[in-house]
Amino acid sequence: MKKSIQIRSLVTILFIFFINSSCIKGVDFEQAESIILKPITELSLIYTSLDAPDFLDEFGLEFPSITDSVILEVLSDDFLNEYLVRADLVIEVTNSLNKDFEIQMEFYDNSNALQHTFPVLIENSVSNSPIIVEHIEVFTDSSLEALKASNRLDFKLLLLSSPTGSVLTNSSLGAILFKSKVIFYFEITE
Amino acid sequence: MRLLIFFGLFWSLQAQNKQLLYGFEDIPQQLLLNPGTNVDYRAYIGFPLLSNINFNIGMSGVSTFDLFAKDGIDFNEKLRAIVSSLDAQDFFGFNQQIEFFSAGIRLKTSLEESLFLSFGMYQESDVFFYFPEDFVDLAYEGNYNNLNRYFNLSDLSFNSEVLSVFHVGINKKINSKWTVGMRGKVYSSIVQASSTQNQGFFTTEQGTGNTLKHVFDLDMKLQTSGLSIFEDTTNLNRLDVLKKRILLGGDLGLGFDVGFTYQPRPEWTIDASLQDIGAINYNTDPKTYILDEYLEYEGINPEFPEFASSQNAQNYWDVISDSFDELFEIDSTLSSYTKWRPIKLNSSVSYNFGKKIDKYCNCLDTSDTSYQNRVGAHLFAMKRPKHIQWAFSAFYYRKLLKGLQLKTTYTVDSYSFKNIGLGIATSLGPVQFFVMADNLLEYQNLAKSQSVSLQLGFNYKFKNNEN
Repeated sequence: MKKSIQIRSLVTILFIFFINSSCIKGVDFEQAESIILKPITELSLIYTSLDAPDFLDEFGLEFPSITDSVILEVLSDDFLNEYLVRADLVIEVTNSLNKDFEIQMEFYDNSNALQHTFPVLIENSVSNSPIIVEHIEVFTDSSLEALKASNRLDFKLLLLSSPTGSVLTNSSLGAILFKSKVIFYFEITE
Repeated sequence: MRLLIFFGLFWSLQAQNKQLLYGFEDIPQQLLLNPGTNVDYRAYIGFPLLSNINFNIGMSGVSTFDLFAKDGIDFNEKLRAIVSSLDAQDFFGFNQQIEFFSAGIRLKTSLEESLFLSFGMYQESDVFFYFPEDFVDLAYEGNYNNLNRYFNLSDLSFNSEVLSVFHVGINKKINSKWTVGMRGKVYSSIVQASSTQNQGFFTTEQGTGNTLKHVFDLDMKLQTSGLSIFEDTTNLNRLDVLKKRILLGGDLGLGFDVGFTYQPRPEWTIDASLQDIGAINYNTDPKTYILDEYLEYEGINPEFPEFASSQNAQNYWDVISDSFDELFEIDSTLSSYTKWRPIKLNSSVSYNFGKKIDKYCNCLDTSDTSYQNRVGAHLFAMKRPKHIQWAFSAFYYRKLLKGLQLKTTYTVDSYSFKNIGLGIATSLGPVQFFVMADNLLEYQNLAKSQSVSLQLGFNYKFKNNEN
């Protein structure tokens, strides 16, 4: 009987000892400190489609330019300010008007100071067949900082004269299509 | 980051299957797994708070070691590899139980027929969630390079609850072949949070007016109950509230377990049970958060003031901005809700052999004349929000000495194909101690294990006079 108790105790103790001897080896939880996420997000921005009458005033005369402003609240977002490492503004313009344009994208801060601007020149289409112009504006380093400081985008279309271009009238053929998206590159770390 | 380490711990450690305890007839707590099991003792009392401590944690698809190994490989590379190897069917589970008190007594004593009453109370925590694959992919990659991919919101599915359970069971041996049992339960939920009915998607596709079109179809729901005492930091009675909820002052529910044991011949045993057929009604502090919106977005279409005086892009943007605000606007209601408990099935078939027979007839010998060995197969299944969690075990049970019983199991489940477990019940006089653990092959380094469970307890057992 005594022997039986000894064996029982021994088996149980050995088993408990075995469980207690378990350990977690060869791992380093500190590694988690260096985690980096690098998502790339693309987002639709501005789009429009304009034909000749859109560029004419009530007397049928060309505007020298047309402008619209957009408040970009997203740019002043804390998350974006902290983790955005690069942004690409991708513009695609299809012009079938026989008119040259200059598109100006102007970024302003809170106090209306110009932070960043770039032009995109659009050729006229003599035969009204579509001419496609692509422009990618890359924001890194100082231009990225300028972008982060901005909260307003002025979108300007300037009408230019050129030797082969015509003056627009209500019956001018063609249209200008503007499409854009922005690609945000993030690096998220703790 | 701490969250990740927390996840890491999850990765190392199975949930809810108690293949070692099920069918281990010497241990009274197995009545909680099958109320219709064979009971061959007169009575028992569990040592308060020590009668059954159970801890069970696991994750399918990956171990802590896979991620945190000190192997010189860049952590982000490993994380990326793991994230891409997991899918929305992979899951994490944690379950913990502690018995506050338990006892049982035979009401009618005869070998052929008996009635055994058992009762008790335990506290249980259960956390279960699926790997939210599409959410993680979106956070990892963004929508760039994922044109036309539908990010499914149904990938977010989790359930978590802390509750106490009061139970009374009756076990009746009808004849030498059949034993049946039933256990009634009153649940008192302390805290609960779940989000298991999410639908909808987010996708980016080719636009018509603009290069891209984003489509948001959001249909999400989160239900919580009992959490507001934690939100109110000035509440000094928190502990009192929790104590009250443990003692039937929480969200109440009713349920029952049923089970049977059938022995067509003395060597063969077939048994099965269903646990937690019941529901809880959450009404003390229920909150339901609903996000149900649809939006298609192509971008801002400017209205140039030169020819459109009424509106400019800013007005247009305001409309868009408002619709985005609305898109993510969460409605909350305070109406009560009812949820089913996760139902569990256990069943086994086993063969008994090796009776202990004395060479010489000894009328004074009181040693055990029952079968000393048992081999069998055991099936466990449990209802989870999106799938049935299962486990299949082969087991061998052996009475080694009087007062020392062993059971070993080999289990195949969603976590592993090489899970070996061992359980020991030992008695010193009327005091019984049991301890069980599985995934023993991994004990040399727990980090390599995808799941671990540990269960132990002390009981005071009164032997059957007639045995």
